[in-house]
Amino acid sequence: MSWQVFSGTFEQGLMYAIMVLGVYLTFRVLDYADLTVDGSFTLGAAIAARLIFAGQNPWLASGLAFVGGLVAGAFTGLLHTKFKITPLLSGILTMTALYSVNLRIMGRPNIPLLRMRTIFTDFGKLPFMDQYGVLVLSLISVLILGHLLYLFMETEIGVALRATGDNEMMIRSQGVNTDLMKILGLSISNGLVAFSGSYVAQNNQFADASMGIGMIIAGLASVIIGEVLVGTSSVRRTILAVIVGAIVYRVIIALVLQLGLAATDLKLVTAIIVIIALTTPDIKKKIDPRSGTRDKKGVTHA
Amino acid sequence: MLRVQNILKTFNKGTVNEKLAIKGITLNLAAGDFVTVIGSNGAGKSTLLNSVAGDFPVDNGEIYIGDRKITGWPQYRRASLVSRVFQDPMRGTASSMTIEENMVMALRRGQSCRLRRAISAKERVYFREELAKLSLGLENRLTNKVSLLSGGQRQALTLLMATIQKPQLLLLDEHTAALDPKTAEKVLDLTCRVAAENNLTTLMITHNLDHALSVGNRTIMMHEGQIILDLREGERENMTINHLLEMFEKASGSHIHNDRMILA
Ligand SMILES: Nc1ncnc2c1ncn2[C@@H]1O[C@H](COP(=O)(O)OP(=O)(O)O)[C@@H](O)[C@H]1O
Ligand SMILES: [Mg+2]
Repeated sequence: MSWQVFSGTFEQGLMYAIMVLGVYLTFRVLDYADLTVDGSFTLGAAIAARLIFAGQNPWLASGLAFVGGLVAGAFTGLLHTKFKITPLLSGILTMTALYSVNLRIMGRPNIPLLRMRTIFTDFGKLPFMDQYGVLVLSLISVLILGHLLYLFMETEIGVALRATGDNEMMIRSQGVNTDLMKILGLSISNGLVAFSGSYVAQNNQFADASMGIGMIIAGLASVIIGEVLVGTSSVRRTILAVIVGAIVYRVIIALVLQLGLAATDLKLVTAIIVIIALTTPDIKKKIDPRSGTRDKKGVTHA
Repeated sequence: MLRVQNILKTFNKGTVNEKLAIKGITLNLAAGDFVTVIGSNGAGKSTLLNSVAGDFPVDNGEIYIGDRKITGWPQYRRASLVSRVFQDPMRGTASSMTIEENMVMALRRGQSCRLRRAISAKERVYFREELAKLSLGLENRLTNKVSLLSGGQRQALTLLMATIQKPQLLLLDEHTAALDPKTAEKVLDLTCRVAAENNLTTLMITHNLDHALSVGNRTIMMHEGQIILDLREGERENMTINHLLEMFEKASGSHIHNDRMILA
């Protein structure tokens, strides 16, 4: 792998890591299989691309992409909590609806951003950033967002949110409105996913209506890889694991491409990674936060 | 403190599985009463406690805690008054979270959560003190995940969580039944101590007749959705386990064929 390919892969990994933080929040923290992700990733890209194409400030455009994701996640949360639609179906419904919404926002299937002003071109103008601007900006963004997510998890609301995913009945009996916690978690998660989408679109210099397809599985694969490699012994460590997982996942994908597989085979490769992870008992034990608690020395029956 | 007035509860009304689980129960507890509840399987003991905690609405009757009529209150609203410990140690704690995080959730029971750091240094000291009272060595494991604890340790922690913010009413549903006998005794001792120290009004379901008579100040026996025996101080002191069994058979008109009743 050439240095250029490697640094490009690394940059991609950091940008996608923002999306993976979101997937971690729903899949792991809330224990909620949220399929909104495929749609909200594209939503973020679409909002940012449309605004940038119209000559708007790219930083503002990225911020609004985040807001768009927040709304999409909240919508999924409302479908689930208020109308009692299953988690899976709620996500699929929003994802499907978003496909049309995204096309409406873009006004066409894809928007090129060649030679447009983006957050990366802005950042590249700073001293010493002409060469590594993309890398540094992505790294700073991930570290800040990862740290903010960690701080959030340690707040009262964060603790209640985690407990909602762990033992809903228990935290409800402490007087916490768990519906609200789920809506909040889904909202933040999809905000991160959409924000990530806006970065990827600006880096790739185009947005495409189908760029989010398979994103959820890529996110899940990254989470699992990170958990296996880095571990989940604390919240801080798990967040670090998720970021590392996102990067390693991109490296694996790049290697697979170098081996001569077609780009169109990547989704298959990703699916196989996840299937292997979910069916290998040793890996399974390592990545499930609640596994092994039920049959440990714990409960002895009188 | 607790007044339950003529409550009725039918499950699966209008179906073939219709089950009249509570047939008009009236029960008054004075502040500081510690009442043990016994009865065969399916007698409606859990349903009685669950009605008070608000798991489901009752079909008829009223429930008061203090002067507050809580009959129509949703469960989360009752959380500020009532706390519970169940048989399953897994139920009362979040296993993937740390001991201190579990405790802080209990400490904030009934309050709305905010966007500020969940645990302060002062609270950490307080948790350590409270855990030390359990003498299980948990005071040095504040940041351990609860999944690392044994069933007995978890149940002791759950009990501490249930009482760390003094509830108006403590409900215990066979909370020692899943533990080995030695651990069960320890958790029961702890229960008595915590209840006495805080003068808690307590309802405790048990299938251990010895505990039923030795713990607390009053014993009620349930059968087929009704209270068939209510023993207060004097009567209770003179009661033996064998006599209690006899009374059960007389009152219910049936023999106990319930292997879960423990006789000693
Ligand atoms: N949620 C429920 N749905 C339907 N039937 C129930 C439910 N809870 C309890 N029952 C029925 O009500 C009766 C009383 O149950 P329960 O209160 O759990 O008894 P106990 O705790 O005394 O063993 C039983 O016949 C039981 O099957
Ligand atoms: Mg029961």
